[in-house]
Amino acid sequence: MASRAADFPVAGGAGAGFRFRLPPVGAVVPLVALLMAWQIACLTGLFPPQVLVPPSGVARALVDMTQSGELQRHVGDSLFRLTVGFAIGAVAGMAFGAVIALSRLAEAALSPLFMTLWQVPVIAFVPMMVMFLGIDEPFKLAVVAIAAFFPMALATFDGIRGVPRNWFEVAKVYRLRLPQLIRRILLPATVPAVLTGLRVSLTRAWVVLVAAELLAADSGIGQMMEMGRQLFQIDVVLAGVMVSGLIGFLLDRGARWVESRATRWRAA
Amino acid sequence: MTPYPHAREDRLSAKTGRGELIVSDLNKSFTINGQPRRILDNINLTVRPGEFVSIVGASGCGKSTLLRLIVGLDTEYSGELRLDGERIATTSLDRGIVFQDHRLFPWMTLEQNIELALLNTDTPRARRAQIVADHIALVNLKGFEKAYPHQLSGGMAQRAAIARALVTEPRLLLLDEPLGALDALTRVHVQSELQRIWMAQRSTMVMVTHDVEEALYLGDRVIVMSPNPGRIRRIVEVDLPHPRDRRSPLLHRLKDEILAELTSGADADGDAGNLVHLPSREAR
Ligand SMILES: Nc1ncnc2c1ncn2[C@@H]1O[C@H](COP(=O)(O)OP(=O)(O)OP(=O)(O)O)[C@@H](O)[C@H]1O
Ligand SMILES: [Mg+2]
Repeated sequence: MASRAADFPVAGGAGAGFRFRLPPVGAVVPLVALLMAWQIACLTGLFPPQVLVPPSGVARALVDMTQSGELQRHVGDSLFRLTVGFAIGAVAGMAFGAVIALSRLAEAALSPLFMTLWQVPVIAFVPMMVMFLGIDEPFKLAVVAIAAFFPMALATFDGIRGVPRNWFEVAKVYRLRLPQLIRRILLPATVPAVLTGLRVSLTRAWVVLVAAELLAADSGIGQMMEMGRQLFQIDVVLAGVMVSGLIGFLLDRGARWVESRATRWRAA
Repeated sequence: MTPYPHAREDRLSAKTGRGELIVSDLNKSFTINGQPRRILDNINLTVRPGEFVSIVGASGCGKSTLLRLIVGLDTEYSGELRLDGERIATTSLDRGIVFQDHRLFPWMTLEQNIELALLNTDTPRARRAQIVADHIALVNLKGFEKAYPHQLSGGMAQRAAIARALVTEPRLLLLDEPLGALDALTRVHVQSELQRIWMAQRSTMVMVTHDVEEALYLGDRVIVMSPNPGRIRRIVEVDLPHPRDRRSPLLHRLKDEILAELTSGADADGDAGNLVHLPSREAR
């Protein structure tokens, strides 16, 4: 039996939960193909340059905006809002989800309202919030926080409610005290669901933030695009599309990475 | 609750004369659809210190319910449950249980899972690692200390669960179909290990099983239960020293007797039909 120990795969060893080091070649092909088709469509004059700028033009705009520091400023502003708003919304969502999961009374009182509000697209809150908060920072932070709040609350609720009763019985058999029960059983058992919720709400918050900036802002990646549209700088608009898409992609990947690291104990 | 000397040499002497379970006039009802339903009816049983008792009976006759009462997870009953004279009112580190599903925590390594059981014992911290290692060796899992449950086979996980239950050195160990989910070959293997462990520890053990052969191979006595409501139908003494030989003619004769008992007198609803073949999965 002991001899078998040699070929037993140690958790965290090579390969475990570490899948995104390099994008596989296969994933790059469609991207390159799209860029090529786009470039050709522009070169052949299929679309006039006022409507569609070729990728090379977008690349030039990106370089220019990077050199002037404009791009960094917009991206920085957006990421700052995302960070602060998301932190507020996610923490509030976790707390709310935990409360309605742990208290039947709170659940009965609050979950219908929660479920109703959840059905409202976050963007639909924007006009009202602009009226109350103006279009400055508090408005954008609030939009992000609301976008993060709902999926986070739901994930936390599901995570806590999903802890099997069987595990509480084991805790009882070994006479775990409440703090031990929370730290050693309840928290780790809830982590996977909460992390999935974090990932979903992070990417959601990003999408909603860019949309809110398009509607009302004085800086940020969305505002950069809106300004580009107003000034007929299609290259700037497209650069914004690419940058916001890339950031969303990286946020998702980063969150997935954290998720797989934190839950390495799960079956592959 | 008296603390145990944890020195290994002391185990045998410290254990003998302890772990006597007395069940008297035990009745248990559940409310099903608003109607109280008698599940256990007038159970009387004395398990001697260091004895191995097996329980067999039709699915649904209340075996798990009985074990849950003894371990203290369910405290609504009438009658008396006493371990060494002390009335059972809740769970205690003196009473261990192995469930049919191993119930190891997936985010803890094998070692951490077993260590969890020692968290609230008075075992000195310095000795815990050694005690955990001893118990991992006891169930032949050396080399897998850092493995997570999903990296263990079913039989290994079940042995780990047995180690976790033993590590607190309970006076009484309850086993609820601990081998029910294993294939026949692994099962025979773990049965032998269980017998070896019990012979080394000599703590009192009560095991529920669907497998009459298993019940006879391990048990000093086999309790045969009948369903609706759950009653003790018969108690079979297995007068054969341990370690036992599976081919013993006595075991085979008793097996035929018990099987006849279980199938003949069983209620017309055919509960006994799935007695031997279908280990029930505990509802989650
Ligand atoms: N929490 C509960 N609420 C209501 N009824 C219950 C509950 N737990 C068990 N029962 C009932 O008690 C009876 C006995 O259940 P128990 O699990 O003890 O049976 P068992 O003998 O262990 O069966 P099996 O061999 O299939 O595991 C069943 O009829 C079941 O419906
Ligand atoms: Mg059962």
